[in-house]
Amino acid sequence: MSKVTLTVNGRTVTREIEGRTLLVQLLREGLGLTGTHVGCDTSQCGACLVHVNGQAVKSCSIFAAELEGAEVRTIEGMANRDGSLSVIQQAFQDCHGLQCGFCTPGMVMSAAALLQDNPRPTEAEVRHHLEGNLCRCTGYHNIVKAIMAASGQDVAMAAE
Amino acid sequence: MELAASRLIAADRAAVWAALNDPAVLQAAIPGCSELTGTPEEGFEAVVTQKIGPVKATFRGAVTLSEVVEGESYRIAGEGKGGAAGFAKGGARVRLSDAEGGTQLDYEVEASVGGKLAQLGSRLIDGVARRLADQFFDNLQAQLAPDVAAAEAEAVEVAEAVDEAEAGKETKGWFARLRS
Amino acid sequence: MARDFGIGASSKRREDVRFLTGKGRYTDDFNRPGQTHVAFLRSQVAHGRILSINTAAAEAMPGVLQVFTAADFADAGGLPCGWQVTDRFGNVMQEPKHPVLADGKVRHVGEPIVAVVAETLDQARDAAEAIEVEIEELPAVMDMRAALAEDAPKVHDDLTSNLCFDWGFVEENKAKVGEAFARAHHVTTLDLINNRLVPNPMEPRVALAEYDAAGDSYTLYTTSQNPHVIRLLMGAFVLNIPEHRLRVVAPDVGGGFGAKIYHYAEEAFCTRAAQMVGRPVKWTSTRAEAFMSDAHGRDHVTRIELALDENGKFLALRTDTLANMGAYLSTFAPAVPTWLHGTLMAGNYTTPLIYVNVKAIFTNTVPVDAYRGAGRPEATYQLERVIDKAAREMGIDPIELRRRNFIQPEQFPYQTPVAVVYDTGNYQATMDRVVEMTDYHNFEARRAESAARGKLRGFGIAHYIEACGIAPSNLVGQLGARAGLYESATVRVNATGSITVFTGSHSHGQGHETTFAQVVADMIGIPESQIEIAHGDTANTPMGMGTYGSRSIAVGGSAMVKATNKIIAKAKKIAAHLLEASEGDIELKDGKFSVAGTDRSVDWSGVTLAAYVPHNYPLEDLEPGLEETAFYDPSNFTYPSGAYACEVEVDPDTGKVEILSFAAADDFGNVINPMIVEGQVHGGLAQGIGQALLEVAVYDDEGQLLTGSYMDYAMPRADDLPMYQVDHSCQTPCTHNPLGVKGCGEAGAIGSPPAVVNAVIDALQRGGHDHVTHLDMPLTPSRVWAAMQR
Repeated sequence: MSKVTLTVNGRTVTREIEGRTLLVQLLREGLGLTGTHVGCDTSQCGACLVHVNGQAVKSCSIFAAELEGAEVRTIEGMANRDGSLSVIQQAFQDCHGLQCGFCTPGMVMSAAALLQDNPRPTEAEVRHHLEGNLCRCTGYHNIVKAIMAASGQDVAMAAE
Repeated sequence: MELAASRLIAADRAAVWAALNDPAVLQAAIPGCSELTGTPEEGFEAVVTQKIGPVKATFRGAVTLSEVVEGESYRIAGEGKGGAAGFAKGGARVRLSDAEGGTQLDYEVEASVGGKLAQLGSRLIDGVARRLADQFFDNLQAQLAPDVAAAEAEAVEVAEAVDEAEAGKETKGWFARLRS
Repeated sequence: MARDFGIGASSKRREDVRFLTGKGRYTDDFNRPGQTHVAFLRSQVAHGRILSINTAAAEAMPGVLQVFTAADFADAGGLPCGWQVTDRFGNVMQEPKHPVLADGKVRHVGEPIVAVVAETLDQARDAAEAIEVEIEELPAVMDMRAALAEDAPKVHDDLTSNLCFDWGFVEENKAKVGEAFARAHHVTTLDLINNRLVPNPMEPRVALAEYDAAGDSYTLYTTSQNPHVIRLLMGAFVLNIPEHRLRVVAPDVGGGFGAKIYHYAEEAFCTRAAQMVGRPVKWTSTRAEAFMSDAHGRDHVTRIELALDENGKFLALRTDTLANMGAYLSTFAPAVPTWLHGTLMAGNYTTPLIYVNVKAIFTNTVPVDAYRGAGRPEATYQLERVIDKAAREMGIDPIELRRRNFIQPEQFPYQTPVAVVYDTGNYQATMDRVVEMTDYHNFEARRAESAARGKLRGFGIAHYIEACGIAPSNLVGQLGARAGLYESATVRVNATGSITVFTGSHSHGQGHETTFAQVVADMIGIPESQIEIAHGDTANTPMGMGTYGSRSIAVGGSAMVKATNKIIAKAKKIAAHLLEASEGDIELKDGKFSVAGTDRSVDWSGVTLAAYVPHNYPLEDLEPGLEETAFYDPSNFTYPSGAYACEVEVDPDTGKVEILSFAAADDFGNVINPMIVEGQVHGGLAQGIGQALLEVAVYDDEGQLLTGSYMDYAMPRADDLPMYQVDHSCQTPCTHNPLGVKGCGEAGAIGSPPAVVNAVIDALQRGGHDHVTHLDMPLTPSRVWAAMQR
């Protein structure tokens, strides 16, 4: 067991962890942040995607012990300060970019990382960026639409 | 998975045959083998650690020799259990013949995996088997004639994969097994 | 009809807010005090005899509480099958026992043999590794045809063969169909495989059970599409727990697509183990376990033959299918290749004579059961492929050939030769719509443009019918269902006028909390925000059959309408009393009860308050309170239909298929929430396109699952798929349910595979590869490229 101190959604937390504890386990089991999901065991589905020091990271593929001093942001930290939905979250609701909601936290985190680097992506860039995030419900159509809308673009124009 | 190839070993046939029946030489030649005990007649017990794709496992199992034609050919077969990682089994028919510069060794390998190995690593089996076979014969060469091993390494013949699927198709691993 | 609330409005989904902020409550998010964890030791071989199991070392390991084998379930029943098929000779199907833990033999890779319950998951897993199971490997039964050979090894020693049943439908028509083929002008024959798929909802299955010794009662939290069905099957058939002592909760469920309908071994295991260990027991599937333990879908091998006259009129249809059941019969497995498949073989056409033969076969693979569409995609794929092939052989445009054979609007209700009666439809209209949407008439110009770039462009069409709203209990009972297929709803009106609707339907992504609220809001004329939809807990919802077969709005929604009508009827009586008027004169509009022709009125909350504070109340005629329950059992299935068109480009150098456009013109009858309906179609299309181009579950000859992770099973990703054009403006409302709705959940997955394959074959044929008349799915680059090389 070792001790790790990191910042999660702006709050500093210290936890005793095993060397093999993954970040996603720390979030879900250690901190009760169950918005981050586990959908596979080969780091492919992206349901566990969070931000570590501003970068998109699949939290199933990184040990918690490596994150001493890191800043982690999860879906629970994405809403506006007043609790209202952020622009990206609101776009997902407006565009019906989610159905069962299981992949959604990873999708929102992934979208946020994309728009931070590329504020006005093309449809192709959005689709390419989502390669590491699987959704089985929406067929991606409305997720792409939501991310385009969040970037202030109309997908219909971009699509044609 | 099936694989056939041949190698030229810079040693005479009797020496190669002896090596192929010597547990110490076999242990040194089998990649990842940490233990090999027993005799050619009674069979061997082996412990081998291998990494196939994302799965690393230690296999324990029996290795038997059969269809032995003294000095010429045998069939070596084994099955290893790797616990939660699954299992691997396979065999090789090995034939020796005299050749210029040493002994020609022809071999045909077949191998299969089960459990997690099949689930996660089956598409890699062809490549892994080819690599292991190459390593095995490199090691054997090194055991028998250390000084020529380095030079020979350059001249390794490319192993030819014999898939069940149509040759020439751009297929790899499990892909070839799709019932088309 | 753009309205901002109620039926027809694209109301934003209320459930989204919790999902978007990480506040969803999925089963794995639940933890109970004192919870323990289970790890299953699963078979690594497809077929074998269990010689010995040594658990001594595991039992001594740290944290281990108990180790279970089949012996601990000796008094438990097998996992039951909910549908019994009778074969064409009048015999019932062969039905093997499906033990909770493998008993004597293992029959597929992934079958649980031993279970370890420990303090932590890691301890349970470590201990499972220390268990020694000696298995004598037996030859695996993998190929369905070989499985039928006299001397084939048997999956189940106590059955006479690997044949579960040999079903003929309609058996009396067999000879007449043969005669029609004998005198046909043209016969088109097609051999095809409907590829085996893994449903892969993104949330893996979870079971968490606890036992209350004080009340001798159990609670199971599980990822289910139908918690009541699990309670019934597990309680009555496996563990012998009376229903009033068993509560099943399916909270937020992360997708199902069929795979979460069935009762699984892990649910029964955790429930029993919680009592035996005396603490809650939790199991969360890994994705690897999901691949080898969730029921798979499809896996049919079919020969279909179509007889036509010289004008292209369909005279008769005959199909022969081998359907893989896997090693055991999953909950609804026998229904899929039979009643959900044979009854749809008429499609949208007037084919007068049809004969369907299906042989269901046991193999050493994971059980196969319903996956999005369930039997109907298999029927549609065969039919729409053989029609396309016939069109090419006879030199008739594929759209025209379909049109010549469509059932015409004036022919409804239409009795097909395969038992079912279609209530409504207008297939020419959907076909017209899709032709318009795709600008089909300018296809040739687009093709030439592609050709100039060295690409082969193709256009594919498919028209589907499906039977949804599964449904009439008396009918399905005759067909072998061991359950009723009604739905229920309780509408509880609170004193201040807010409403909680308890529905037996279950939402795992379909948005019921929004859609169902829209309906009730519309009926009463109050804001949707006043209405709450509760589902997924047997403790507070009436007996319900759950969500599958596109039945939620058609059956569950209708039950809710029925209950709401009872509420309105009672509320009118109360209003009449309050307004001192005759009940017959009371009108309800926009949440206000008024006396016809006067300005006297009382609003909704005035009436609901009177119901619960009956100071001024007709107590001699009415009970206080305002809560009603209804069960709805429809008189027929619903029959959505639609025309799908796909345009592809094939790269002749690599064989890669790119979907340039996909258009879906569906007739779902009336639509409650267009936004949600479109989303359902999108999702279905992605799964259908995935089947057509990417997905297949592959076993090797020894029964090892080679596509057991997302590294090898090709899930559709965002850049594999196009933006879709979807349209539901063609509406022929259902005539026998109160909402006129038909159901939309499966359509996309039913119509799209043949549209895609037809488009690729079209591209290859137009590109000079005339010899390619069929390719089996998935149309991977290697398959398409290889086909072009001949």
